[in-house]
Parts: sequence; C-alpha cells; structure tokens
Amino acid sequence: MSEKILEMKNIIKDFPGVRALDKVNFTLEKGEILALVGENGAGKSTLMKVLSGVWPYPSYEGDIYLRDQLVRFANTREAEEAGIGIIHQELNLLPDLSVAENIYLDRQPLGKFGGIKWRELYQQAEKVLARLNMDINPRMQLGDLTVGKQQMVEIAKALSLNTKILVFDEPTSALTESEIKELFIVINELRASGVSIIYISHKMEEIEEIADSVVVLRDGATIGDKIKISEVTLDEIIARMVGRDINDLFPKQEFKRGAKTLEVKNITVPDPFNPDKNLVDDVSFTAYKGEILGISGLMGAGRTELVNAIFGVYGKKRTGEIFLNGNQLAINSPADAIESGIALVTEDRKELGLLLDKNLIMNMTLPSLKKFSSSFTIDKNAEKETSENYVKQLNIKTPSLDVFVEKLSGGNQQKVVIGKWLITNSDVLILDEPTRGIDVGAKVEVYRLMNQLVEEGVTVIMISSELPEIMGMSDRIIVMSEGEKTAELTRQEADQETIMKYATGNKGVE
Amino acid sequence: MKKFIKNNGTFIALIFLIIILSFLSSSFLSSRNLTNLVRQITINGIIAVGMTMVILLAGIDLSVGSIVGLAAVSVTLLMQAGFGMWLAILITLVGVGGVLGFFNGFMSSKFDIHPFIITLGVMTIARGLSLVLTQGVSVPVTNTTFADIGSGYIAKLPSLIVLLVALILGIIAVFKTSVEYKNGEKVRNKARLTGGIILSIAGFLAGVFIFIGYQGIPIPVAIFAVIVMAGVYTLRKTRFGRKLYAIGGNEKVAWLSGINILRSKTMVFVITGILSAASGILLASRLNGASPNLGDGFELDAIASVIIGGTSFMGGVGTITGTVIGAIIIGVINNGMSLLGINTFYQMIVKGFIIILAVMIDVLNRRESA
Repeated sequence: MSEKILEMKNIIKDFPGVRALDKVNFTLEKGEILALVGENGAGKSTLMKVLSGVWPYPSYEGDIYLRDQLVRFANTREAEEAGIGIIHQELNLLPDLSVAENIYLDRQPLGKFGGIKWRELYQQAEKVLARLNMDINPRMQLGDLTVGKQQMVEIAKALSLNTKILVFDEPTSALTESEIKELFIVINELRASGVSIIYISHKMEEIEEIADSVVVLRDGATIGDKIKISEVTLDEIIARMVGRDINDLFPKQEFKRGAKTLEVKNITVPDPFNPDKNLVDDVSFTAYKGEILGISGLMGAGRTELVNAIFGVYGKKRTGEIFLNGNQLAINSPADAIESGIALVTEDRKELGLLLDKNLIMNMTLPSLKKFSSSFTIDKNAEKETSENYVKQLNIKTPSLDVFVEKLSGGNQQKVVIGKWLITNSDVLILDEPTRGIDVGAKVEVYRLMNQLVEEGVTVIMISSELPEIMGMSDRIIVMSEGEKTAELTRQEADQETIMKYATGNKGVE
Repeated sequence: MKKFIKNNGTFIALIFLIIILSFLSSSFLSSRNLTNLVRQITINGIIAVGMTMVILLAGIDLSVGSIVGLAAVSVTLLMQAGFGMWLAILITLVGVGGVLGFFNGFMSSKFDIHPFIITLGVMTIARGLSLVLTQGVSVPVTNTTFADIGSGYIAKLPSLIVLLVALILGIIAVFKTSVEYKNGEKVRNKARLTGGIILSIAGFLAGVFIFIGYQGIPIPVAIFAVIVMAGVYTLRKTRFGRKLYAIGGNEKVAWLSGINILRSKTMVFVITGILSAASGILLASRLNGASPNLGDGFELDAIASVIIGGTSFMGGVGTITGTVIGAIIIGVINNGMSLLGINTFYQMIVKGFIIILAVMIDVLNRRESA
C-alpha cells in the first residue's frame, strides 16, 4: 500500500495569543490505519478540525492534498463531499429517531411531493449496515441501542457518504471490552475495503493493536516522522509525546498498611427499572490507611454505583452499613458523606464535578464553604489563599484564579476537581476513573499525588477501567461483575488474566 | 470602551431613556414626579429582588402577584378584625408570604416539579382566597397610622443625613472593590475608582434633587433600599448566596458537593413570598385599602425587571443591582408614557417589545463571547 491519499503540509493555525498548530506535516496512504497521538492540547483536535473544514481555508496556513489535488474546504459539507468523515468522541446522533433516519438525516429519499419514501430509506440503511456486518434493525429507535451499536450507526452514516478517510476521535472511551473488539473488527474490514483511517486515542495498547503507523504531535508540531508501529516501542512513543522519558508510568510507592478506616457491609442498591436485579448486590469490603484500594470491573459492573452508594447518592434506597474508624455512619446524602469525612471525585467531571461557567475559586471551595466562613459570611481572602495554594501544589496551569474552569484543559480540570476534594481534608478519598481523558503527563502527576496522600494517611480508593493502571497503582484490588464483588486480590495475585476472569463473572469469593 | 458599554448596557440605556424623556416632557424631571416614580418602582422592585434569586436557581415564581393581593387583603382584614397594625403586618408576612413561599419551594423541589407549575397553581389559589375573603369587593383601611407606611416621608433633615451616610458608605465600597490582584500584588483599578466616585456623587446629588427637593425620602423607598442592600450582601458575601449561584450553575454538581438543594430552594421561595407580601402591605397602605384583584400581573413586571437586569433564565448568572436597574427602566417607561399621555394599552405593547429586546441583546452578547 503506497498510494498516497492525503497529505497535510506545513499546516499552521493561530488562535489569539496561541499557535495551536505549527507546521504540521504528515501523509496518509490508502488502506492505512494511522494513529495520531499526543497529550491533551497537543493539537490533535485542531488538526482534525482543519482537515474536516470546521476551520475553513484562510483561517489556517499550509496546504492539504487529497490524491495529490490541492483542496481548500470552505465548510464541513465540502469536506464530507470530498470523502472525509469524523466519528466524534461524543456521538452526533438523535436518540429519538430511527437508525435509518439517523444515517440519512437530511438526505432521505424523497417522493414527488416531498414525502419520505420510508421503504427505500430502510432498504438503503440495511445495505450500509450490512457492509459493517452489523445486525441492527434500521427501524429501531436509536436511543434503544447500546453506545457501541450507536457508534456503529455513526460509522454507517459516514460510509453512506462514501467516505474515503475516516477519523476516529477517542472512539473507545465509552465502550465495553467486547464492543471494542467488535469495533476493531469493523475498522480492520474498513481498511481492507480501502478506507484510510486516522485513529486518535490516549490508550497505547489500543494503538499497538490496531494501528499500522503512528504520528506524534506535541505542542502543535509533529515530533519526528511517521513511524511504523512495528518499529517502535510504546515507551518511545510516550517519550515523544511528553518530550521526556517516562521510565515509570506508574510511580507506585508502597507504605506500611495502617489501621482499618472505611468498612462497608452488605451494601445493596436496587435497580429502579428492574425489581429482580440489584445495581449493587451485597458488597462488603474494608479499606485501610496507607494503601490504595483498586476497584476493577467492566463497564456496567456496578463500580460507580457502589461508590455512589457509599457517598449517599441513593439516599435511603441503599441498604447495608458503613463504618469509618469503627463508628457507624448514617449517610443519606452527599452532604452526610462529606460531613463524615468521605470525598468522591466523580467520574464525569464536566457534568458532575465542575461548575463549568464559574471560576476556579468557586469550584474549589464549594464542598468546604463552612471552612471559609464565620457564621454566614464567606472570607474571600482565605478562600483565595487556599485556592492559590492548591493550584500551586497540584501544578494547575491557569492564567488566573478568575478563569472559568471550562477554559482549562482536561488534565487541569481534573486537578481542580481533585483539589476541591482535597480542601475538604477527608479521611477517605474515592476517585472514580481519575485519569480518564487526561494526558500521560497529567496522569503521572495524579499517581504521584495519590502516593503522597496515602503517605499522609488518607485512605485512597480508585475505580479504573484501565487494567495497567489498576494493577500499577493498587495495593489491593476488588473485582466486580454484575453488581457483585467477585474477587479481592492482593497486588501480587493480580494479573490481567485473573482480573478479567473475575470481571467476566467467575466468582472467587463467597 | 466597547467592553464597558457591553457590561453596562442596561445602565447606559437607562441614562438615554431619562435624557430623552426629559426633552419630551417638561414635568418628567421635576422633583415631585421623580419622587413618585421612585415610590412606584419600590412596589415592583421589592418583588424583583426575590425574583432574582428564584431565576438564579433557573426557577420562576408566577404567584408573586397573587401573594401581593392576598397580603393586602389579609393585612386590611386583620386590622378590621381588631388586630394591632404591627401584629397584622407580622401575621401577613409570615402567614401569607412565608407559608405560600414555603409551599412553592418545598413542593417544587421535594417532588421535582417545575416551579412554573406549582406557582401557577398557587397563583390561582391565592387569588381565589383573596376573592373569597373579601367576597369580591374592596376593603377599606381604618387604621390611620397604617397609611403612613406607604405614603409617608422621612423628614428632609434626616433624609439628607441618610443620603450623606449612603454617599460615604458608597465611596468606601468603591475604594474596597477597586483593588485588583495582578501577579500577587495589589493594584488599584483607577478607571473603576474614578468611575465609582463620580457615580456615587452623581447618585447623591440626584437623591438630594429628587427627595430633598420635594418632601424627603418616601418610607417605602427607604424600606426598598434596605432590602436591596441586604439582597446584594446575601448574594455577594454569604454562603447562602454562593450556594444559589452553584445550584443555578449545575444543580447536580452542587448536590454532590454537599449542598442541601431542598433547603436552599425552599428558602429562596420563602424569601420571595415574604417580599411579595411586604410589597402587598405597602400597596394596601398607599391605596388606603385593598381590592382582591390587587397585584394582578405583577409577576410579569418582576420577571421583566430581572431579565432586563441581565440575569440569565438558564440560572447561575445575575445580580440584584442589575435587577434594580431593570426595575427602574420599567418604572421610567411606565411613568414616561403616562406623562406623554400614551394609553396604558399601548404601554403594554411597548413593554413587551422591550423585554424581548433585552433578552435578544443578552443572547447575542453571549453568542459573541462564546
């Protein structure tokens, strides 16, 4: 395969005060899967926006060649027509419409009087879906499909547009393991049929598995040339991404295990939509000072629900007992949990962790306002001072404390969420997917911070879907499946196979 | 400069409005007219202070107008029944404003029903109660001191002292708020400092012209000023105020951060209920009686003041000072059109367009900055 389909040459894109892309060069061949990697803010998304016409021609410098023809898109539609499609991280679909309508939105086959020819629409949709070997009924309402299947619909939509170059932007972040496998099969089939693919991801293992070659972006510039994936190690790729060697991705420090702190017994949360099932089913565990307790499992195993239950999110619907330092706690709301000394860094920082259109100070002091106020009035100086300290301590990169947090990068936003809970000075810090969607450099900083907290005597509990992370950082690992705890492993016992065995439902405890 | 105009658009619009009206009508700028104008504004303004907090929570309260009516009826009937003035006022504030506000807030947030629905219900219920209690006819006020609350004045000399104190406090506040931090160092924002001082002095002179030039500060205006200051302080400085901005910004995040949503929301509706009742009492006092239809449609003026004042309907963004300017704009428009002899029917049409215009400007501004 040496037929060059796309070449981007010396692409420069400036935003006020920042050069987002600085002479980016790369080529893509027919039937190639090219991984585009780089830390958050390295310019991957901007580059793809230039390619897909979101930033039209005079707003960037440099040339884009499609099959050696210079192209200058004025809008996204022109890029689409030229055969460039993007599968975004957040799907652009309408959940209330049928699968077929989503695929042919705005392009439905029309009859004489402008009515939609439904039968033809469904037939066409069926044909496109068949190309993906997908058993999806085009008449189904999209919202009834799993996220993985919805993504397939998005891919089908791109194919129906006769796409030649398909960009995947972090496609697996919401998928289960089996869905990821399915997706990779489809991607391989697309390659076989001559579609070229640009694959953006943070997950190195995925890149190793799926990509033919890799281009690294750092600070808006390409670092080195395109390399074949077979000729490079993951560590080398990471070194290119962060501009330094990371000899240890998981800087785990082991401390002496201390006293029993958080102990939960028989935590159960009923499923509101299914009376025969529990979201969390009779889970008990103990956490200690001086250790990181990992909670592993597949998507939907009930991990988030478990920690939410402990945090009081389900109120009185939760049954079971919670003890902290030997005292039983009555937790019926997050306020109760915070009051008792439990903090939860939620999974979805944008929806559940941050007030996006508020500044750093307001976000960081929100759970501990009482600390900054005598009677009713807030001491704004104290508030500012504390926020400033944590911004420094956590190495949060921000022009000032008055910036709305939505303007910060993902890694810095995550640090704000963590900072907000550190200020509460809780005994137990629960982190739900603390490194999702943040770059390698920021990940390592989060790990170091976890070490430091453990050393200071905080009990840290971490949920993670990434096995290397859970194995790299935890002292003990609880594995969950279908709402139940299926295993409790020590650091030594835990390897990928064992965890997966229990995560898929084999029981190790009873 | 462009930024200054954008951030102070409503205020600049108000100044223009006043200049235009003073050319169109010779009596507009008289002390007497302006005193009456300010007194009229207080009735709507007091409600709008509460409404600001409600809309900050992305809520709405349609029942305020009916609470005004019921409070007016209640306070008059209680006095007729032999209750002392202050006791009648207290019972009305708590029993009408507090109870109905609690019902609004508790029902809507406990059962997660949009306050539009609950307050729409209470709006009808409260109006119905007024009609039942009065049998549909007006009730006169018998207590003579009661009339002083709505129509009385603070004497000229004490008024002047009050204005002077306000001027001094204003200038102190300007000095405090014009300090900025740049790279950890204190820097004084000179433009804000001089602007603030000029504004304080202009406000003082206007106050002297309007009130001292006539009969002193009307008592309702003094009450309104106290309520506004308390409201501004609450939103800017207190934990409660901070919680409101957080809930309006993202209720789920606020809840997960340990904020008791039910309590805060209920509290806001209680405050709004009590303020509406206070407004109703002032109105009854000024009119020397209450008719069961009093306050009909007041919710619209209150909501319009809040929106014109720049509070976002999506919640989380807004200030009481903005609302006060919004309330003044509405008052000036009503007053100006009456002076020009424009039929009230046309006034409604004009007001409607102004509300839409204000929201349009807000939306366009936001789209530009996004």
